Amino acid sequence: MNPREYFRQFADAEEFERIVEKPTVTAMWRDCTAEFADRDAIVFKGESYTFAQLESDAAGFRTVLDNTVKDGKRVGILSANSYDFVKAYLAVVTTGRTAVILPAHLDQRSVFGCSIMFGLDAVIYQPELKESVSLVKVPLIDITLTSDEKTGMTDCDEKTPCVMMFTGGTTGKSKCALLSNGAVMQGTVNGCYGISPVFGQRYMLVLPLSHVFGLIRNLMTSLYTGSTMWICTNNKDMFRDIQVFKPTVLVFVPALAEMSLSLSKQFGRNMLGEELKYIICGAAAVAPYLIEEYDKIGVNLLQGYGLTESANLVSGNPESLKYPDSIGFPYPNQEFKVVDGELWIRGKNMMDGYVGGDESGFDEEGWFHTGDLVSIDERGLLRITGRIKEIIVLSNGENVSPAELEAHFNALPFIQDSQVFEDVAENGKHILALEVVPRQTVLSKMDLENPKEYIISELEKVNLTLPSFERVNRIEVRDSDFERTPSMKIARYKKC
Amino acid sequence: MLMTRQEILDKLKEILVAADSGNKAITESCSEQSRLKEDFGLNSVNILYMVIAIEEAFGIYFDDVGVNSFSTVGEVIDYIEGKLR
Repeated sequence: MNPREYFRQFADAEEFERIVEKPTVTAMWRDCTAEFADRDAIVFKGESYTFAQLESDAAGFRTVLDNTVKDGKRVGILSANSYDFVKAYLAVVTTGRTAVILPAHLDQRSVFGCSIMFGLDAVIYQPELKESVSLVKVPLIDITLTSDEKTGMTDCDEKTPCVMMFTGGTTGKSKCALLSNGAVMQGTVNGCYGISPVFGQRYMLVLPLSHVFGLIRNLMTSLYTGSTMWICTNNKDMFRDIQVFKPTVLVFVPALAEMSLSLSKQFGRNMLGEELKYIICGAAAVAPYLIEEYDKIGVNLLQGYGLTESANLVSGNPESLKYPDSIGFPYPNQEFKVVDGELWIRGKNMMDGYVGGDESGFDEEGWFHTGDLVSIDERGLLRITGRIKEIIVLSNGENVSPAELEAHFNALPFIQDSQVFEDVAENGKHILALEVVPRQTVLSKMDLENPKEYIISELEKVNLTLPSFERVNRIEVRDSDFERTPSMKIARYKKC
Repeated sequence: MLMTRQEILDKLKEILVAADSGNKAITESCSEQSRLKEDFGLNSVNILYMVIAIEEAFGIYFDDVGVNSFSTVGEVIDYIEGKLR
């Protein structure tokens, strides 16, 4: 089925026709400022900024840019999430320049290294992070600067480089993915598919704008749809902010969705507000339990799949309740191939390549090898079955995908998270081990005499349904959560 | 009426157990000297949960806290006690 046609069934007919592709961010932003001029685009620290105000401030900042780096093409942005970040980002990319998004936690040596490695012509910085740019040799621009003189947008084409985003890539070595205007816009439009209504929503930004999920699915799609986006200044205040702003769409990683649900259960009220309709969830596997529990309080938790290299969005699942183990249907303008189980992609949303490091990211036919193992069912729905770099090769030569096994164990409602890994037994033999974190909110209602014993016996039952070479040899019920990465994913064990 | 340190500890313990899904180290040996990371193994998501739940349960507001703002349970109690005064 044509991907766009697949998503049509989940939209209002009139709204669906408004979801059209735009060649560049400049083209999109020009349309947004004309169509939504008086509507609030951003709310930050109690101040609301309309689309017209945001464009006016971006136009002033374009003048600052022109005065500082007239011919400069690559401009770094080092800032925490803020209104000024959005203003500076729009100013950079609507002049045909490339915004190189530097994570705000980078120290001064790293920022200096980035300025050399990525060939930056200037760095825009948040005053609070001035120390972090102290070693940089190119011009520095205070992000709060403005000018009464307004400079208009510059037209470019869809091939013009737009943003560079940090990624570990498929090999884990840090570098930047260079995304063209066309790729960013495809990712932005992809974010419109699968939810209804889609225009004029209230988004809340919790994830960092230095992450592609925050920048494209959250900010860019919010702007494209004439929605209003509240920028959280501190994650601890997000529930207080939610009570005030009443978002209709949240873009979350699963750990945040799990935390919100636990807090709601602990305090006996829906912490996410009564008007929330959708949680867009990605960046890690989503437990079916979460989808079901959110459905009970009237929230559609939709999971999707994407990469920094694909301008965030590759596939989305508007039918997450029906198919909770699927990352959904591929978005338009992509070609797919599954080779030895690995997903290969080619399409408009793909990056131009990596900057920094020596990988190109593509093979000679232009396919990007995602490193993710997938299966596709007869309906065309994708399922992740593992990651190539996490594959465990057993001594008998069999390959085991931890993610695929974990999905079986995670289907038990009282399992919050699990990790399958290779370990060495006391006799020196390499074995498959499983550690799980129980979900106490479910367990506590089960009135069990010995919860740990029960969990292990249920996990053993699941284990026995697996092919013998995939069965785990040791099961441990953890007393605490797993270590987490900065993006709240489970830090994987490397014991062998 | 002001809460005693023991009452704050009891309430905080409930929050910590919920923050880390029944963490056994917390249920068995939570004292003012317990270290959040080293003894309980709490990660950034658990700490975020703890801060949000404390605000909700004690009706107080944390000024500006990061993951590394507190090392021990006692330090968290000090902060709550100060805010409740």
